[in-house]
Amino acid sequence: MARRRKTGNAGSLLLRYLVLGSWALFCVAPIIWFLTIGLRPRTEIVLPQPLYFPTFTLDAWNMIWSSWPMGAYLRNSLIAIFGSVLIDLLLAIPAAYSLARYKYRFREDIGFYILSTRMMAPAVVAIPIFFLFKTMGLLDSVWALMLIYAAMNLSLVTWIVRSYMLDIPPEIEDAARTDGASDLRILVSIIVPMCLPGIITAGVIAVIFAINEFLFTLLIASTQNAYTLSVALANFTGGSDGIIYNAIAMVAFIAFVPAMLLVVAIQQHLSRGLTMGAVKG
Amino acid sequence: MAQAITLNSGRAAQVARSPLRRRRSPLQRKAFPYLLVAPAVIYLLGITFYPGLYAIYQSLFRVRFNSWTFIGLDNYSKLLADNEFWASLWNTFLMGSGALLLEFLIALTLAALAYRDPFIRSWRIVFLLPMLFMPSAVSFIWKLAFNDGRVVSDLLMRIGLIGQPLDFLGDVWLARLSLIITDVWQWTPFLFVIFVAALQGQDAEIEEAARLDGARWSQIFWNISLPMLRPIIAVALVLRGIDIVTMFTSIFIITGGTPGGATETMSYFIYRTGFKRFDFGYASAASVLLLALTVIIAQSFVKRFFRSGRD
Repeated sequence: MARRRKTGNAGSLLLRYLVLGSWALFCVAPIIWFLTIGLRPRTEIVLPQPLYFPTFTLDAWNMIWSSWPMGAYLRNSLIAIFGSVLIDLLLAIPAAYSLARYKYRFREDIGFYILSTRMMAPAVVAIPIFFLFKTMGLLDSVWALMLIYAAMNLSLVTWIVRSYMLDIPPEIEDAARTDGASDLRILVSIIVPMCLPGIITAGVIAVIFAINEFLFTLLIASTQNAYTLSVALANFTGGSDGIIYNAIAMVAFIAFVPAMLLVVAIQQHLSRGLTMGAVKG
Repeated sequence: MAQAITLNSGRAAQVARSPLRRRRSPLQRKAFPYLLVAPAVIYLLGITFYPGLYAIYQSLFRVRFNSWTFIGLDNYSKLLADNEFWASLWNTFLMGSGALLLEFLIALTLAALAYRDPFIRSWRIVFLLPMLFMPSAVSFIWKLAFNDGRVVSDLLMRIGLIGQPLDFLGDVWLARLSLIITDVWQWTPFLFVIFVAALQGQDAEIEEAARLDGARWSQIFWNISLPMLRPIIAVALVLRGIDIVTMFTSIFIITGGTPGGATETMSYFIYRTGFKRFDFGYASAASVLLLALTVIIAQSFVKRFFRSGRD
C-alpha cells in the first residue's frame, strides 16, 4: 500500500513538472527568440525560411539611438508615468482613508463609482477626451498623457491603498486621537507610514499599466513631443522596408527590464494589487 | 509612528483641559470624510462623466469636420442595422470568451499544480515574464512569429503537424486564433498569480484534516479548495473579462481587423469609425452602446465583490 502510494507520487510529480515545465518553455522561448531578433541584422529577420542561428550584431541598439529621438521617447514616458503616479497618490491616499475609516452617507456609492471607472473602456471616452484636449490645446502633449494615465489608474490606486488601510487596527488611531492628534495629522504621520507597502504596490502597478497604455497615447501623441515607448514602437517602420523588428525588440527589452525589477520587488503583494485589494496574498 | 505619538502626547493634557476649544464643529466633522474623497471623485468625474455626457450628446449629430447636424437617434438606428457593428460585437464576444476560457483553465491548472511546489517562487517569476512586456511589443512578437517571420508555421512543419506553411493572418479562424494565443500568452499570468495567492491563503488545517481522513489530492482540490476559491475566481475573471472586452492594441498592430473584418473588436470599430473615417457622431453612438454594455457588466458582477469599508 505504502509502496503503491510512493510510485503514484513519483508519477504525479513527473506529470506536474512536465506541465509546469512546458508552460515555462512556452513563456520563455518567445522571449529568448525575440531577444535574438533584437541582436541580429535586419536582413536576417523577414525571410522565406526563418533563421534560428543568426549573426550577432548591435545594429538595432545603434539604430534606435541614431534613427529616432529615443531620448525624447524615454523622457516623455518618464514624465507622463511618474507624474501620473504622483497625482494618483496625492488624490488616492486621502480618498482611501475616507473610504476605509469613516462611516457616512453614500460611502458605498462613492467607493463603487471610483471602482467603476476602472471598468470604463478606453474606447468609450477616447473620442470626447480627444476633443476635450483639442479645445484645451493639449493634443500631442506629455501633460495630457499624464492626466489620462492618472485618471486611468486612480481607481486601482485608491482601492489598493484602502485595502491596506483596513488592515491597520483602529486602536492605534484612537490612541493618537486621545493624545490630541488631528485627523489629518494621524493620516500623514501614522497611517501613511504604516501602509507604505500598499502605497508602493499601488504605485508599481500604476507604473506598469501606464507603461503599457496604448490607445489614448496613440490618439493624443502625434510627434516626438509626446510619443511614449509603447506607441513609438508602432512607428518603427522604414517605409517600403516594412516593420523594423530588431529595433522594436530592442526597445521592448529596454522597457521590460525596469518593469521586471519593479514587479520582483513587490512580488509578495502582486496578487493583492492586481485584484485591487480583493485577494490578500 | 511611535515618534508621532510621543510628539503629540504633550498635547493630551492641554486637550483634556479644554476639550471644547479643540473639537471642531459638528458640521466640519461631518464634512471631513467628504472633503478627503472629493478631489479624487471630482478628478474622475471630469475625465469619465463629462466625456460620457459628451459622447451621448455627440451621438445625436452627424459630424463632418466642424459642421454638426442634429439628426436625433439616426446614428443609433443606422448602427443597429450595420453589419460591421454586429460583426465587431460578435468578434469581441468570440475572441474574448475564447481567450478568457483558455486563460482561466490554464491558470487554474498551473496554480493547482504549483502552489505547494517548493519552487513556487521561481515558477511565479517565470510565468510572469510575458505580462511584463508592453502589449504593443507582445503584439509585434506574435505578428512576427505568426506572419512576417513564419516561425510558427516552420516549427509546426518541422514536427510534422502541417505539410505547408499556414497563412495565419489571412484565414478568418486562424487570425482569430492568433489573437487569442497572443492574449493567452500575455495575460494567463494575471489569473495565475491571483489563483496561487488564493490557494496559498486558504486554511491549511482543513486541507490537512481532509488528507488525514484519506481524501485524495484531486478530491481535496475539487471539493474543498475550489469552492473556497469561488469568490476570488469571480473577481479575477471579472477584472480580466473587462480588459478583454476592450481589446484593442493587438488588433491594431497584428491584424487591423482583417481578414474582411473578422478580427475587428468593438474598440477597434469605434477607433476606425472615428479616427479613420472621421464619422465622430456615429463612433460616439457605438461608444455609448459599449458604455452601456460595460455598465451592465459592472453593475451585475463587480458590485457584489467589492465593499468600501468596514461594516
